[in-house]
Amino acid sequence: MPDPLPPAYTNETFPFPPHYSFPPFFTLQPNPLTRTSQLQSWSSLILSYTRHHRLSTLSVVESYNTPLFHNPSLNRRLPTSDIREILTYMSSKDGGERVEWIGKHGKDGGAGGKCWVYWRRPEEWADVLESWVERTGQKGVVLTLYEIGEGDATVGAEFHGLDPELLQKSLGVLVKKGRAQIFGAGEDQLGVKFF
Amino acid sequence: MGSQNSKVSAQDKAILDMKVQRDKLHQYQKRIKVLTDRETEIARECLRRNDKSKALLALRRKKYQESLLQKTDEQLASLEILTNDVEFAVVQRDVLYGLQQGTKVLKEIHKEMGGIEGVERLLGESADAQAYQKEISEMLSGRMTNQDEDEVEDELEALAKEVNGVDIELPDAPTQDLERKETAKERRERRTREREAEQPHQQRAEPMLA
Repeated sequence: MPDPLPPAYTNETFPFPPHYSFPPFFTLQPNPLTRTSQLQSWSSLILSYTRHHRLSTLSVVESYNTPLFHNPSLNRRLPTSDIREILTYMSSKDGGERVEWIGKHGKDGGAGGKCWVYWRRPEEWADVLESWVERTGQKGVVLTLYEIGEGDATVGAEFHGLDPELLQKSLGVLVKKGRAQIFGAGEDQLGVKFF
Repeated sequence: MGSQNSKVSAQDKAILDMKVQRDKLHQYQKRIKVLTDRETEIARECLRRNDKSKALLALRRKKYQESLLQKTDEQLASLEILTNDVEFAVVQRDVLYGLQQGTKVLKEIHKEMGGIEGVERLLGESADAQAYQKEISEMLSGRMTNQDEDEVEDELEALAKEVNGVDIELPDAPTQDLERKETAKERRERRTREREAEQPHQQRAEPMLA
């Protein structure tokens, strides 16, 4: 199943950068210097693309056929091995740790070839959430996780429609800081209280 | 989640339960909306195939689902009212607690002050002491001769000078009125005098120019 996209963000087409129309961009260059800059360009393209479409995860196989890695007008596409390499680069310190592989198969992201793409890292989401709580005077109020991610009250908020797991991760950051507590019975009945 | 420190109270859990129920109703409504949309689609499809009875059936199902939707709306409203009531009650309880604390502190402070009688007694005592003091000083000053008094004052002055350090003889404040108007007049006079003094020079100079 493809990631559900909030309709508001899928209507506008993503403005691809100029180098997206440059055929060699779709082949990773052997020269280490060129390669590094290419990895960086791909990294920023992936981040702005996923941000535009509000994607929180990326699957190597699924995304292979999306416009992100496939430019139909050039008839060029990035091979899955290169997608993997770019995502692995993004998960490293050099790449800003903007990607985290899901699954246990080590750093190379074996398993499902699926990863989190953090155009906003959990800590950054935590800040967004905290300032929202502060702004709306909801300290000490019990909120359900569903309410935060899907509720009518948060429509229009940046985190509306956020992946529930990522939401929980972000709240986990606040829990660690002692700013919130998650409680409740069962995965889908979780609530959070901010302090 | 594992650490069960008591920052989350039983009320919080109850509120969460209610909110979770509310969320479930929300999800249920979403589901039913999808269903009703589909029934409309089915009815349309059936009509296209001239299958009136099936279309009718689909529309009936849709009607029924819509009635469910309405019912859940009511339930949702009552659940939300209850949740709000509970949350407000919690706020009220906190306010009450605050008031209690404030009253307690106020009472303690009052107790430290020893009650109204204590304050009255204290005020009385201090008035008494002041009166007594006045009496003493009156008695003392009454018993002294004028000369003694002068000497005492002189000594006080001397002491004050000593305390202030250097023995500064301050100049007396001027006793006359300031002669502001007169100075203005004087200035005028002075000017005329000066002009008169200068005139011979000018008179000598002017003819040379002309």
